[in-house]
Amino acid sequence: MSDPVRLQEGDFSVDQEMTALRGTSLRIGGIASFTGCARDFSEGREVMQISFDAYGKMALFEMDKLRLEAIEKFALIDARIVHRVGVVAAGEQIVLIVTGAEHRVAALGACHWLIDELKLRVPIWKKEITPQGESWVTPHP
Amino acid sequence: MMQILFFGPVAERVGLREMQLEHRAGMVLQDVVSQLKATYPAAFEIVCFTAVNDTQTREMQLPLHDGDEIVFMAKFSGG
Repeated sequence: MSDPVRLQEGDFSVDQEMTALRGTSLRIGGIASFTGCARDFSEGREVMQISFDAYGKMALFEMDKLRLEAIEKFALIDARIVHRVGVVAAGEQIVLIVTGAEHRVAALGACHWLIDELKLRVPIWKKEITPQGESWVTPHP
Repeated sequence: MMQILFFGPVAERVGLREMQLEHRAGMVLQDVVSQLKATYPAAFEIVCFTAVNDTQTREMQLPLHDGDEIVFMAKFSGG
């Protein structure tokens, strides 16, 4: 089975990640997921691609830490976090969070919490590539 | 020598992803920040986080050692 926390250049399969998570325990009663995708527009401009740069070892360390914190905080049975790096075309998947718990409330809450915390705590930066040029994205709440 | 790393928008403003700086006895983090800020002021306008040997720190008086890895980062924007 693949590592539950990964940074990778290639795309990921939501089905495969969910299957891997579901396979960890028969106690799982609810699975929630969030998939972040590359929009083809931003602030009124066309976006063709998004390029992601990461401080790899710290990003993985923080993602691992987030996963363990979420498992404890929400009493999850398991969670998986996958984030792409490199160039992602408009319409493609960027990030996946999958959470499994005995009940839906914990799975949904953990999923929301994980993506919010990932944005704040994981050293990854994105640059939008548009017909007019390239610009780094300033984070917003 | 100390290894200095830059990522994302900071790397773009510095024009490099990494460099080496000579370590001097008694050096603290502030010494490196001051030296680099003077050379790359635009990059340091957006530096929000600093890490030494994989640990984030705001302690500018942190003593540095030969072989340390220091990373300067802008606000994160992943996800």
